[in-house]
Amino acid sequence: MSEKSNDPVALWQKMLGEMEKGFNSLSNQALTSPEFSKVMNQASGVTAGAHKQLSDFMEKYLLSMNMPSRSQMVGIAERLQSIEGQLSDIKLLLQEMQKQTGVGSPAAGPARPPRTRRPPVAPPPSGEKT
Amino acid sequence: MSTAPGLDLASIQDRIQSEVQRAIMRSVKGVEYIASSGPALGSTPKDILSIRGTMRLYHYRPLADEIYRVPILIVMATTNRGYILDLVPGQSFIEFLLKRGYDVYMLDWTAPRPEEQSLRMEDYVLDFIPHCVKLVQEDSGEEDVTVIGYCFGGVLSLLYSSIHADGPVKNLICFTTPIDFREMKLFQNFADRRYFDVDRLVDSVGNVPSEMIQSSFEMLRPASRAIGQIQLWDNIWNDEYVKSYRMFDRWATDTLPLAGEYFRTITKDLMWDNKLFNGTMSVGGRAADLSKIKLPLLHAVAEHDHIVPYEAARHLIPMVGSNEKEEVILKGGHVSLVAGANAVKRLWPKLDNWLCGRST
Repeated sequence: MSEKSNDPVALWQKMLGEMEKGFNSLSNQALTSPEFSKVMNQASGVTAGAHKQLSDFMEKYLLSMNMPSRSQMVGIAERLQSIEGQLSDIKLLLQEMQKQTGVGSPAAGPARPPRTRRPPVAPPPSGEKT
Repeated sequence: MSTAPGLDLASIQDRIQSEVQRAIMRSVKGVEYIASSGPALGSTPKDILSIRGTMRLYHYRPLADEIYRVPILIVMATTNRGYILDLVPGQSFIEFLLKRGYDVYMLDWTAPRPEEQSLRMEDYVLDFIPHCVKLVQEDSGEEDVTVIGYCFGGVLSLLYSSIHADGPVKNLICFTTPIDFREMKLFQNFADRRYFDVDRLVDSVGNVPSEMIQSSFEMLRPASRAIGQIQLWDNIWNDEYVKSYRMFDRWATDTLPLAGEYFRTITKDLMWDNKLFNGTMSVGGRAADLSKIKLPLLHAVAEHDHIVPYEAARHLIPMVGSNEKEEVILKGGHVSLVAGANAVKRLWPKLDNWLCGRST
């Protein structure tokens, strides 16, 4: 005990831990005040507004430079997403057909283990009946 | 000159020597730290079963020769990546479940694309989750499914289970799931309806940026990041400490943006009107009443959770209509409850003990 209390490293670590707790607790008091909420939300409102203005400006700028606009890129992304989804569905369909026909391919992976496992000592469920 | 009582000069000499060695190691390891990347995370072998925009459904390859009949579907929180449950071998919840003989699927998320800003709560609860449950049923050949929801994934799982009270969920496990949103005091203050204009934000930015989500998490403990950096430098000679720090730091800074409409509903229905707690929540016009949930339910909560305080989570058990229900309060915080050395000893064995008898 006394060895620990004299250990400068242990003291330093303890001090760090206490500092963290103290500072967090202090700032939590400030962060729960309505004034903080007001100031923070005013600031983020301004940021969000600036973000929108910048986006609008960029959209117009890209259009004037004869480059694809955001909405056009979004359209392409939507089509890609739809293709991606369809590919995933086709893959699933193929896997399903493989299962039904029994024709396996090396890529189909190893056979699944049987679903017959029992609990180690078959205890009754541990949940409290309420 | 006398020494202070309890002060051993020989031990001080050893301590100084050890500190000098550590100081040298810090310099060497510090360079290594900057030059190297962290450990590979989420590497348990898995197959993708479905991709639909922000949604991913994975199936993990079984690691046991014989598995339980009922498969598990893990529903991850929409703000974070699922690899927190699959860190590195020996510290992976997924690996633990697989080795204990469970068949595991995970519904995970990626950043919603700009065109997905219109995703609503009903897309998550009435489309993504049912779609994944159906695929798990088809893939496993089993009707019954156990659902595990982490944090807000727990809220989505509860909404889904209350609306689909007749099945096919057989067991429901929630980790640190908030019910009474008034008790999330800091988030409440950030989203104070007098000052926070959620409509303006969503209409301006579309999807809510990940930086905003992350800074709201960091503001809950503003000193922790800086102190964490100091502690890292202090322990940089210790490979295990550094590995663990990198894993958790990477995950904590890897937050996801939230789809705009979905965020609007969370703010208005849950943060402002507290509808889940008040019993007035509905999704797509369908009432989501927690008392309709009758299936076996386990709720694991953390004693020192700064994100979802116990006061916000404790109402789940009294509110559900299940006969078999249990709440376990474990030492640790919001993340250490489910991942890391703490979880290996506490939550995982408890969960296995609760679930094994209900998975046959």
